[in-house]
Amino acid sequence: MNKLITLVLLFFSTFLFAQIPAGYKQVKDTLAFKQKMEAQSKLVNTIESDFTQEKYLSVMSEKIITKGHFLFKKVNMLRWEYTTPLKYLIAINKDKMYIKDNGKVSKYDINSNKMFKSINEMMVNTVQGNLLTSKDYKAKYYENEKFYLLELTPLQKGAKDFLKVIQLYIDKTDYAVVKVKMIEPSDDYTMIDFSNRKTNQPIGDEKFIVK
Amino acid sequence: MKNLLLSSFIAILFSCCTLGHYGRLTDYNSHSYSEFFKIPKPIFGENFNSFLFKTNIRVYGKDFSGLLVTKQMQPNDYRVIFTTELGMKLFDFEFKDTAFTLHYCVPQFNRPALLKTIQKDIEILLMTKLNADAHSFLIDKKREYAVFKSKDEKYCNYYFTEIKTKNIVKIEHSKRNTVKTTLTLTNYSDNFPSAILIQHHDIKLKIELNLLKK
Repeated sequence: MNKLITLVLLFFSTFLFAQIPAGYKQVKDTLAFKQKMEAQSKLVNTIESDFTQEKYLSVMSEKIITKGHFLFKKVNMLRWEYTTPLKYLIAINKDKMYIKDNGKVSKYDINSNKMFKSINEMMVNTVQGNLLTSKDYKAKYYENEKFYLLELTPLQKGAKDFLKVIQLYIDKTDYAVVKVKMIEPSDDYTMIDFSNRKTNQPIGDEKFIVK
Repeated sequence: MKNLLLSSFIAILFSCCTLGHYGRLTDYNSHSYSEFFKIPKPIFGENFNSFLFKTNIRVYGKDFSGLLVTKQMQPNDYRVIFTTELGMKLFDFEFKDTAFTLHYCVPQFNRPALLKTIQKDIEILLMTKLNADAHSFLIDKKREYAVFKSKDEKYCNYYFTEIKTKNIVKIEHSKRNTVKTTLTLTNYSDNFPSAILIQHHDIKLKIELNLLKK
């Protein structure tokens, strides 16, 4: 009997160990981390950054790489612009969303469409690192020397259909989100790397209106 | 009554036009264009390459924009995946010989008639079923296009190769001489079209593909 219990314990401990990403350990004081993250987020009023997006599809030999620039301004203003190899722009201005594609601008009311609302929430909260306070995700906290790694598992049925887990890599020095990896149930993923990040530089409101 | 007369007149007018649509094509039996007297080579079947397109699908007033990637896996096996710009997968199709596999699809696309239509459009473009179908060769009166006519169940697909450039510039998917879908292939560079437009004439569906990378 004892042998069986040992075996079961061993199995579960291996299982738990396997869940932790390589090179990372679990954060002990998650409350302190959350408080610190929240406090840092309050200090940030604007963010400007370049990004590189990698789409990994298991059947393709190459990743699809797209690059661009993004701007964020409190409260709830975001400009997400692809520049290579395609030109495509999404801008969120409070409850309005603009999409500029092929020179054509479409304007939407975010509240009129459930999908736009969730895109808005996910994008705005991701760049701020605010997803960890959301009730829609179950969070796990890991760290290594340089980064905190947050693993967020969606709890709502709609999101679970296309998203297995979101990984947020957060720089330990300034609590900035440096990398986001969105993994699909099939294990294909989208990874976004942020670079040349500047915070609290003045950004005019007109950047978030697309004509 | 007036409306009935008018619609009958329009119907007659259109049927006359369509009857004449392929009238300009004659059976090809000359030897001066013998290089066109063969099954066309699939344009996507080049060294197992992948092609990335900026894509817009406009269906009944709704727009889906994103990136479409095609990859030749085996000589007659292609994978076609459509994602949003932000990376969310919308559909994942596989065309192997004459078989089709739906690997994934979001609920917005998961409507049998829409899926079947898009599947057929891509299949015509990939030219995976040409060898299996009954076919014939035609040529237009002006000797500008060599046309490969391939039977596709109740339909016929006409592949128009421009004689001057040897490029497939147009594909028509027709039923009883009425064009249901026109695929226009333009801006050729290195034997590959940079722009492809798939325009349906009987339903409100338009697919635009603009090459980003090959």
